[in-house]
Amino acid sequence: MTQMLSPTSIAASRPVTEEAKLEVRGLNFFYDRTRALKDISLSLPAKSVTAFIGPSGCGKSTLLRVFNRIYELYPKQRAEGEVLLDGRNILDKGQDLNLLRAQVGMVFQKPTPFPMTIYENIAFGIRLYEKLPRSEVDGRVEEALKRAALWTEVKDKLNASGLSLSGGQQQRLCIARTVAVKPEVILLDEPASALDPLSTAKIEELIDELQTDYTIVIVTHNMQQAARVSARTAFMYLGELIEFGDTEEIFTSPHDKRTQDYITGRFG
Amino acid sequence: MAAASSRHNRRKARNTLMMGLSIAAAAIGLAWLALILGALVWKGAAGLSIAVFTEMTPPPGDAGGLLNAIAGSVVMTVIAIAVGTPVGILAGTYMAEYGRFSKLTIVVRFINDILLSAPSIVIGLFIYEIMVRPMGHFSALAGAFALAILVMPVVVRTTEDMLNLVPNALREAGAAIGAPRWIVIRSVAYRAALSGIVTGVLLAIARISGETAPLLFTALNNQFWSSNVNAPMASLPVTIFQFALSPYDEWQQLAWTGALIITFAVLMLSIVARALTARREDR
Amino acid sequence: MTITAEAANSSSLAANIRAAAVRRFALTDSVFQTLTRLSAALVLVLLGGVAISLVAGAWPALSHFGWAFLVTESWNPVTEKFGALAPIYGTLVTSLIAIVIAVPIGIGIAVFLTELCPRSLRRPIGIAVELLAGIPSIIYGIWGLFVFAPFLQVHLQPFIIKLFHGVPGLSSLFSGPPYGIGLMTSGLILAIMVLPFITSITKDVFDTVPPVLKESAYGIGCTTWEVTRRVVIPYTRVGIMGGVMLGLGRALGETMAVTFVIGNAHRISASLFAPGTTISASIANEFTEADGELYTSSLVALGLILFVITFLILAASRFMLMRIERRAGS
Repeated sequence: MTQMLSPTSIAASRPVTEEAKLEVRGLNFFYDRTRALKDISLSLPAKSVTAFIGPSGCGKSTLLRVFNRIYELYPKQRAEGEVLLDGRNILDKGQDLNLLRAQVGMVFQKPTPFPMTIYENIAFGIRLYEKLPRSEVDGRVEEALKRAALWTEVKDKLNASGLSLSGGQQQRLCIARTVAVKPEVILLDEPASALDPLSTAKIEELIDELQTDYTIVIVTHNMQQAARVSARTAFMYLGELIEFGDTEEIFTSPHDKRTQDYITGRFG
Repeated sequence: MAAASSRHNRRKARNTLMMGLSIAAAAIGLAWLALILGALVWKGAAGLSIAVFTEMTPPPGDAGGLLNAIAGSVVMTVIAIAVGTPVGILAGTYMAEYGRFSKLTIVVRFINDILLSAPSIVIGLFIYEIMVRPMGHFSALAGAFALAILVMPVVVRTTEDMLNLVPNALREAGAAIGAPRWIVIRSVAYRAALSGIVTGVLLAIARISGETAPLLFTALNNQFWSSNVNAPMASLPVTIFQFALSPYDEWQQLAWTGALIITFAVLMLSIVARALTARREDR
Repeated sequence: MTITAEAANSSSLAANIRAAAVRRFALTDSVFQTLTRLSAALVLVLLGGVAISLVAGAWPALSHFGWAFLVTESWNPVTEKFGALAPIYGTLVTSLIAIVIAVPIGIGIAVFLTELCPRSLRRPIGIAVELLAGIPSIIYGIWGLFVFAPFLQVHLQPFIIKLFHGVPGLSSLFSGPPYGIGLMTSGLILAIMVLPFITSITKDVFDTVPPVLKESAYGIGCTTWEVTRRVVIPYTRVGIMGGVMLGLGRALGETMAVTFVIGNAHRISASLFAPGTTISASIANEFTEADGELYTSSLVALGLILFVITFLILAASRFMLMRIERRAGS
């Protein structure tokens, strides 16, 4: 349907159509025999930020890790149900994991720069799927670093080790690395929890900018952060999705008693 | 009260005695190292000269050097490392990466640890049975393969250990940008574990450079220069063995000098290997 | 509309490129995985190969002599009558001497390193002990033959022989003449060789003792020795046994150090000062000169016996060390 519209009207129509980028239907997750997610169903709109909140162990990170099936690195973890990315079930056996992960990027709690130069950290992911001349790779690296608001800080030391950067810079390097692969969805797993307040603010700014192009899902234990960066918020508790809706609504007038208890700091 | 205090004194006396003994034990261990190294330097340095590195092993009663023996050791060590290292790294990679949670890994780790300490002379017999006997003659290649079997377990062990030290977060990060497993291993895990794996290879070189038993009836010995890996080849340890047990003074002197060279090389390798991992720990 | 069509086109092109890359990845990944798995399996194949080839090589001797091979002392290349008893005896006795001497010293050094040693000295001494482990065995052999054995011959052995002269039992165990070389000397050299292994494993397992455990013992007024004796050693007993077994495995299979100083005599003597032989020394000394299939095969059979003994000892050692590692890990 959108194909019939002119470019300007696509942009204009975005908030209205609220086409689901990711749709979760009846998802259960198991660590061996333990059921960590119970019948989760929710739908995440494209090009906006959704936050998952809840006390630790509630399953918010587990849910996030289903979206790129990163859990498959470990034995005895499995997901049942459906997760539709653009209407296609990514839990299908036929789904190629590498392709999925190139489409659905992820940034982790602790910065994880690869043991290589800053330049290589980013070029590494680009070269995986695209055979480009050096000049074009250079351009893409610059673009990604600019996108992650890191370019001015590192443009003179692209050949320095990624490990030589500060924690906040490392995390932005990881975001740049993720963006460089041109994913459609970016998963952020408590991306600022290991950072100082100043670096955190920068990351949040960045998230705000990135949502114009990417569907972003962020897991956070920091409720102010969820309130600041997200349009939608899901509250999870003991493996269940308790409440999901507009962030403002969740934080001002939650329907569920448990959500209310959590956001007012009564537990967690 | 008096009883309690005498008991206390007895306990204290016993403690002093036992601690004294433990200090004595440490002193004995260090003294022995000093004695062996001292004797080695004393006796070995006497024969150290340029000729040792430039002349062939002499016939009995003549002067000469150890050139062909040193060269033979180098050749066989290089082949052994070239054969044993890749296989060892691959096996260690399976254990730490693809097969981290598999039963095969548990069994392989167990067997590998046994191979690590298995008598090297038995490995020599094995190679004799599968290579020397069928081929009908001794050869440097057989010696190198015997050494390669000694290299493998060392490299397997260190590779697995070092890859296990690479944080899983790095593997997840690699997978998260869509990199397939083997690229994550090659470009991320190997790189993070590089110094440790190099250490393992150095330790393996140190281990085989002094090995004598597996060469006795595989590479045998050769009094002359040989670059044919399909023929018997001299090696430093076997030459030392032969010369040391001979009644000739010149040969015995060369044996001591050879022993000094080997020990020096092995200690240097161990120290370099240690320095590599120490730097890693600092980081 | 044209723009979105173009976008759709280019994105489908990108998708095609990606799909091609993905197929390539899947192939190389499975090739690499198979390679690594085969390499891992090779470790098992090697051990199996060693066992099979030794059995095959030993078969002529074993089928010819039967079980008597194990309990026959005679070793006569001329009459082709071979028995393994003397080398087995020599192997066990020298290793036993080594363990009896090295275990207390090794534990002593470990106690020193973990409890007494100033922090600044810990690392250098620990490294020195490990360097001792790295010295090739042929060095111990040549040192033993030219330095240690003459010293024993001139100074220690005559003294001990005189000391125990007339004492029942001990007098025959330490009876002359003082050759310098022999079972005792081999045992001593082996003790030096296995000392580093026992020390470093004991030190490692001592480090697995939770500090709170030691602190609470010190807290009720125990001396360092009492803490070691009553807390540390009982807690780590299995690990120490593992280290001892590893040392034993090394001692049993050690070749060159022993070959130099054992004397290579295929007989069982009451005296520890008498020359003898071990399995590995017999093989090292005689294999290349052995003529006749039965002779060679008998030597391979010795190797098989050694392989079986060390395999069992080392397997036991691994089991014990695995137990302590699991506990330290959990």
